[in-house]
Amino acid sequence: MAVLRRVVTRPSGTIPLIWLAVVGFCALFPTVVATHDPNAADFASLLEGPSGAHYFGTDELGRDTFSRVVDAARPAALAGLQAVSISLILGLPIGLFVGYAGGWWDRIVMRVVDAIFSLPGLILAFAIVAILGPGLTNAMYSVGFLFSLRVIRLVRGMVLSVREEPFIEAARLSGAPTTTVLGRYLLPNMMGPLIVQTTISFAAVLIIEAALSFLGLGVQQPDATWGSMLRDARSFQRDNPWIPWPPGLAITLTVLAFNTLGDTLRDVLAAGPGGGSKAPRRGVALGLADGATTAARPAVDDTADPDPEALLSVRNLSVIVPTSTGPAPAVRGLDVDLRPGEIVGLVGESGSGKTVSALAVAGLLPRGVTIDPGSRIHFDGQQLVGLTEARMAQVRGTGIGMIFQDPTASLNPALTVGYQLAEPLRIHHGLSRAAATDRSVELLDRVGVANPRERLRDYPHQFSGGMAQRVMIAMALASEPSLIIADEPTTALDVTTQRQVLELLVELCDDLSMAMLFITHDLGVVAEICDRAVVMYAGQAVETGDVHELFATPDHPYSRALLASVPLLDDDEDRLVTIPGRVPGPGEQIVGCRFASRCEQAHDACAAGPVDLVTLAGGDRSSRCLLSAAAVEDGA
Amino acid sequence: MAPTLAFRLVAAVPLVFLVSLLAFGLVHLIPGSASETILGEGATPEAVAELDAELGLDRPLIEQYWNWASGAVRGDFGRSLVTSREVSDTLVERFPVTISVASGGLVVSLLIGVVGGTVAALRQGRLTDRLISLLTATGLAVPNFWVAVLLAFYFGVQRDWFPAIGYVGPTESLTQWIYHLILPSLALGLGSAAVIARQMRGGLLDVLDRPYVRAARAKGLRYRRVVIVHAMKNAFIPVITVVGFQASVMLGGAVLVEQIFGMPGIGVQVVGAVLAQDLPLVQGVVMVSAVAVILMNTLIDVSYAYFDPRVRLS
Repeated sequence: MAVLRRVVTRPSGTIPLIWLAVVGFCALFPTVVATHDPNAADFASLLEGPSGAHYFGTDELGRDTFSRVVDAARPAALAGLQAVSISLILGLPIGLFVGYAGGWWDRIVMRVVDAIFSLPGLILAFAIVAILGPGLTNAMYSVGFLFSLRVIRLVRGMVLSVREEPFIEAARLSGAPTTTVLGRYLLPNMMGPLIVQTTISFAAVLIIEAALSFLGLGVQQPDATWGSMLRDARSFQRDNPWIPWPPGLAITLTVLAFNTLGDTLRDVLAAGPGGGSKAPRRGVALGLADGATTAARPAVDDTADPDPEALLSVRNLSVIVPTSTGPAPAVRGLDVDLRPGEIVGLVGESGSGKTVSALAVAGLLPRGVTIDPGSRIHFDGQQLVGLTEARMAQVRGTGIGMIFQDPTASLNPALTVGYQLAEPLRIHHGLSRAAATDRSVELLDRVGVANPRERLRDYPHQFSGGMAQRVMIAMALASEPSLIIADEPTTALDVTTQRQVLELLVELCDDLSMAMLFITHDLGVVAEICDRAVVMYAGQAVETGDVHELFATPDHPYSRALLASVPLLDDDEDRLVTIPGRVPGPGEQIVGCRFASRCEQAHDACAAGPVDLVTLAGGDRSSRCLLSAAAVEDGA
Repeated sequence: MAPTLAFRLVAAVPLVFLVSLLAFGLVHLIPGSASETILGEGATPEAVAELDAELGLDRPLIEQYWNWASGAVRGDFGRSLVTSREVSDTLVERFPVTISVASGGLVVSLLIGVVGGTVAALRQGRLTDRLISLLTATGLAVPNFWVAVLLAFYFGVQRDWFPAIGYVGPTESLTQWIYHLILPSLALGLGSAAVIARQMRGGLLDVLDRPYVRAARAKGLRYRRVVIVHAMKNAFIPVITVVGFQASVMLGGAVLVEQIFGMPGIGVQVVGAVLAQDLPLVQGVVMVSAVAVILMNTLIDVSYAYFDPRVRLS
């Protein structure tokens, strides 16, 4: 009932239901709706257009088309009911039995079903009508038989998936008879999909019924069906162009109604109980969203200019993501600088905003995620925020190389590695096919792929994870970039391969004097390869500085907690087990320090207002903590 | 690719065998024997028995099946009970027309479906997308024979843009062949175009969110190239499955639509045969349609290997 209410409250449920109610009323009480006797000829008014006397005009015998369309609702409804009932009566028990019994029964029946499915439905209906003889009922037997196959498939599939459920197993073990198990447990579970299937079957049955009538294999004259009316209409179209429209529209609208109702039912059932009440939630969401965006406006000094000596200089980067409570910033006013040849780590837990920041720099944010227009990303002296997609593609193709977390998913499974590698070479460097191949071989050789020339012809699934990541690195090198952005490049690899790939990356940066922005949750890796690091928490940088100093004397309580948890870091999960609590989401409104709820040293002032990033005594480090700010002031 | 094709063809043999059992079984579901149909009402039991013996209908079922099936393999489906013409002659003469219309429908549905689905996916959530989704819902609901009736009248009769009636073989005149196929193909293809468009839209949206599409953009490729080269080929894999289903739908629909355009296909024959219970012809049509559909699906299976290299090696 709750389902029904949710269907009725949607326009995609109400409108089809109203139309089907109209058709149903016509089928039950045709004489009430019809204005004329549907079979009464009137030779005084042949093939007339629509008028007050004949709403839809008249046919070649002067019969009233409106009344005939109304009258034809009954055979259509009957045909649909007959065929759908037959399909359920045949299909439900067979499907239940085959699915439940399994084994040879299942194999044989399903093979036969597949064989019948390989035949065009209409031709099969012909064959059955040939056996049974023409007539609407026979036609519907054949259509019902055809659709029982669909029911068998559906029911069998559902039984197979449900019978492995623990509660079915328990019922069986407790000694309940098979029929009880089937009737009491399986059937209720499949009512939903079955209702959807039946609704959509109605639509398909109507079309086939109309087709058979159209061919003269259904209802016999003079009774009207929508299909036979269309058949007759063909001969008299020239004299009355209106004539094929009413029956055609009647079929189309009824089929459309059943299809739409089926889709709506499916959506409602898929949403599950309690889902689907969208309207009130949307109102709440808007209220929250406004609050979130205004409150989250980062309190960072907007006047700070990009560093002219830096290759990449990010200032006040804010990235807005959609959340269940409306748009909210996942990155809040991030500043990062990379000098040429420098390796900078961006460290943090999942949800810290590190990957989103990296994607923002490369202009690769997913749809719906946007950079706040107040952000500045200067790369090679060029402001990247606000560039067109085409210009941004140019920048990526010639200046920035990217390496992603999951190498096997980041290579296109349908194209050879050689094609994918040669693509940027040919487009951005204008190399010929042969030259691109030679260069690809060089690149693969450079990243340590054995037999590079042969492997160019291989597809990504033929590469192991480590080798695939080497291919990705080669692809990033293809554009001869001055900056590499590596987003957790070793997370998906096994431990020995991780080391090799890391060493390769560092070596390449040195040899080709590339800078690298290295995104990771792994502090050990940062200590090993980075010059400087930015520790991120809940969208903000909480501490930045030289890696050696940062590791020797971490200032921010979060950095300290992070460092303390390194030995216990769980390799499989991007999660730190030793800091209790969780990272607040982008939509969560926190007035003060975003780490305060998990901080051991938190005090009342921490929650009072936004905390700024303060430069520490050394000059090259900064931290976003009130304790550090106090220490700096004391020292000054 | 050749070994794959050979393997798939062999794998299709059991299916053809099963269909042949079904087609043969049809005869024996009918009350009375074929001889009664031939001789008509009022035939003496002796005459029926005599004809039964002549036609081999008094033999055991297995022997009858063997005789029928071994003939069918050679393309001999017996003679029509009504016209006593060789069924195979009728099939050879008329099936190419039906296949032409079905192929035309498939081409139309692929063209419109792929373009429509792609445009809808790239304009997701915008007005164009919603308009296309409205059109696909309508396309799924409109009976192809109604579209055929309307197209034939408005574009064939009222405006003489395309022939409303008739057929010209491709060997006679290729351009005339295509010209005559345009309206029937459109009428037949629109419904399947809607199915394909829905699949294409869903498939492309799914693929556009994959990491390898982001990686392709990261290489600095233009969005157009990313969509056409990197996304389309992968988005096509689920579409191919749908096309396989539609091939069967097209063949059934062609039988209907060709009659509206007065084309000398198998349609008129089979409807006549059904009304007259002329079973050898019905059997022949069922068998040839099934083999055509199975062949088409085999080709589609093989084409997976082109779109999805992972299939190639397994």
